[in-house]
Amino acid sequence: MSRVLCIDDEPAILRLLSVVLEHDGHEAISAASGREAMAMLARGGIDAVLLDLGLPDRDGLELIASIRSQSAIPVIVVSARGDVAEKVAALDLGAADYVTKPFDGEELRARLRVALRNGRASQKGGELVHGPIRMIPDRHEAEIAGQPVALTPKEYAVLQALVEAGGRIMTHATLLERVWGKAHRNDVEYLRVAVRALRLKIEADPSQPTIIRNEPGIGYRLT
Amino acid sequence: MHNMRATATPYIVALLAVAGVSWLSSVWLDVLGLASAALLFLLPVLYAATRGGIGPGLFAALLGAGAFNFFLLPPRFTFRVHGLDNVVSLVVLLAVAIVTSRLATRLMAREAEALERARMGEEAAELSAILGAHPARSALQGGLDLVSGRYGDLVLVSEDALQSIGAAFSSLDLSAAAWAIHNGDVTGHGTQVMGTADWTFFPLVQKNRPASEVAALARPANGSIRRANQLEHVRQLALLLGQCRDRDMLEAERREREMLEQSDHLRRTFMASMAHDFRTPLTVITGQLALLANTSAGAGEALAAAQRLERMMADLLGAARLESRSLTPSFESLDLVDVIAAACDGTTLPPHLLLTRTLPADLPFVKADPVLLHHVLANLIDNALRHAKSQVALAATQEDGTVCLAISDDGPGVPQAERSRIFDRFIRLEGSDQSSGSGLGLAIAKGFSDAMGMSVSISTATTGGACFTLVFPFAERPCA
Repeated sequence: MSRVLCIDDEPAILRLLSVVLEHDGHEAISAASGREAMAMLARGGIDAVLLDLGLPDRDGLELIASIRSQSAIPVIVVSARGDVAEKVAALDLGAADYVTKPFDGEELRARLRVALRNGRASQKGGELVHGPIRMIPDRHEAEIAGQPVALTPKEYAVLQALVEAGGRIMTHATLLERVWGKAHRNDVEYLRVAVRALRLKIEADPSQPTIIRNEPGIGYRLT
Repeated sequence: MHNMRATATPYIVALLAVAGVSWLSSVWLDVLGLASAALLFLLPVLYAATRGGIGPGLFAALLGAGAFNFFLLPPRFTFRVHGLDNVVSLVVLLAVAIVTSRLATRLMAREAEALERARMGEEAAELSAILGAHPARSALQGGLDLVSGRYGDLVLVSEDALQSIGAAFSSLDLSAAAWAIHNGDVTGHGTQVMGTADWTFFPLVQKNRPASEVAALARPANGSIRRANQLEHVRQLALLLGQCRDRDMLEAERREREMLEQSDHLRRTFMASMAHDFRTPLTVITGQLALLANTSAGAGEALAAAQRLERMMADLLGAARLESRSLTPSFESLDLVDVIAAACDGTTLPPHLLLTRTLPADLPFVKADPVLLHHVLANLIDNALRHAKSQVALAATQEDGTVCLAISDDGPGVPQAERSRIFDRFIRLEGSDQSSGSGLGLAIAKGFSDAMGMSVSISTATTGGACFTLVFPFAERPCA
C-alpha cells in the first residue's frame, strides 16, 4: 500500500516496525541514521516517516524541521522518552503524530492510517466528515449522528480544527492559536471551557467522553 | 623611656634657647639697648610654646624673665627688682607664653587630626584595594589580615556562628554581640554598652537587610582602652569587610547553584538515557510478544509480565525523580474529565471488574501538572484495580472551593494500624498480591501530590474497601 521510512538506530526495533507495518500491507524501508534517512527521502517514493528522536548522528527535532522544509510527507514520532515537552516540540515542528515506546502495534497502525489519510482529507463539496461528525463550515452547520447541533462560533471552530486534523493530535497551543489567536496560545482554560461545552452537545456521556480525547499536557484528538 | 625623652626635649631646648639669648643679649647689650634685648627673650618663649605647648612655654617665660632680670636688668647679676617695668616684662613674657601655647596647641591638634584623617582615608583606600581583588574569599582574608595587623585581632562572625565559636567569647561578649546585631550599635570594649567586654562588636548592616553579622575586635593587648575615633575608624573598615563578605557569600551561592544545576543536568540526562535504554528492549519484547500472543497463550502471559515490568520501570523512574527532588511541576488548568479519561485509557480493565465514574457537570477546573497528575491517578487506579473484588469507583465532588476526587474499591481495605505506613516505599500489606506492583505506586502518588500542593489520604469506602481521596486546592470556576 504505502512505503514507510522507519528511522531508528536499533535494528531490533526496525525489524519489529517492519513486521507491524507489513501487517497492514505497507512496505517498510529502514534507515539507521539521520544522514541515511535524508538520502532515502531525496530518492523519493516515500509516503510516511516513522522517526525515533534519539538518533546517533542528528537531533531528531532538527530532522523533522528539515523533512518539513522539503516535503509534506507525514512524520510520526516514535519516542522512547516520556518527555511531554519534547513531544509537543516535535508536533509544533510539524510532526503529524507520535507514539511512545513501548508502543502498541495496533495503535501505531491506527496513527499511521490517520496520518496517511490526512493527505487526502475526506472533504466532499465543502463537507467535513469524521466518524459521526458532519460539518458544513460555509453554512456553519454541524451534525452528530445525523442530529443537527447548535454550536457557538468558538465551539464550531475548535470542532472544525479537530475534524480537519482527522484524528491526528492537535496541541493545545495550535488549537488556541488557530481559534483564539496567537496572543492566547497559552490560555488553556479557554480551550477547556470550549471543549467542555462541546462535549455537552456532542458526547453521549460528557463525563466519559468517547469523541474528543485529551492527552495530558499535549493536546486533543478525535477518536 | 622614649616617651620621657619626648616630653623632656622642649624643656631642654627652652633652657638652651634662654641661655643662648641671655648670652647674646648680655654681650650685645650696649648695641641693642634694654628694650630690644627684652624682645629677644620672646623668641625662646614662642619657640617653646609652639613646639611643646603650655608647659615648656611657661617654663621658657619664667626662665626668660629670671634671666632677663639677672643678666640684663640693672642692677645686673642680681634678682632684685626695681620699678614697674620689670614686672611688666615678666607679665608680658608669661602672657605671650600662654597665648602662643594655646594657639599652637590648637593648631597642632588640628594638624594632627588632619594627618590622622588622611591616614585613615589612606588606610580605607588601601583596604578597598585589597578587598576589590578576586576571588572575594582571598580578598577578604587579605583585608582581615591588614586590619588585624594594625588594630588587633578582628574576626567576622555571623549570628548563627556566635555560639559555635563561643570559646573565644565570654557570656558578656555574647550579649554585647547580640546587642550589636539587634540594636545596630557598636558595643563592648571602648563603648558605652557593656564596656567591660573583651571585644568590641561592630554590626555589619547588609544591603536592605538588618545586620545578622558582627565584626569583633579584640581589646588592645597592652590593656589600654580604645578611643572613640579609632573605634569609628575600625567600624568604617569593618563595613568594607562586611561588603566583601557579602560578595564572597554571593559568589559562593552562585558557585553552589552552578554545581547544583550541573549535577541536576547530569541526573536528568542519566534518567532520560536510562528511560531510553530500558524502553528500547522493552519495546522489542512487548512488540514481538504481542505478535505471538494471537497464537500462543504462553506469549500472552509473557506479554502481560513485560507490561508489568514496564510499569515498574516507570515507577522506579518516578521514585528517582522524587528522590532527587528534581520535580518542578508546571501547573495548567485541567478538566478532571480529561485527566480521568486519559488515566482510564492507560489501564487494562480485568474482565471481572467494573469501573464507574461520577463527575458533576459543573465541576470546576483544577490547577495541576498534567503529567504528574496523570501518573498519580494511574497509580491510584492501578492500585484499586489490583485490590478490588468487583468494582472500582471514581467520584469527584466540590467542597468549599476545593475539588476532591475519591478512588474507592470493594477490596479488603486497609486496617487503621497500617494506614500511616501505606504511603511508604516498598510497603505491601500482608495477604496482598505479592507478585504485582512495584511497591512504589502509592509512595509516588503521595510524593507527586505533595509536589503539586495536593493532599492524598486514605479512608474506608462505603463498600468496606479502601478509599483514596485527592484534594485539589485553588479550584477555579469554569468561566464561560
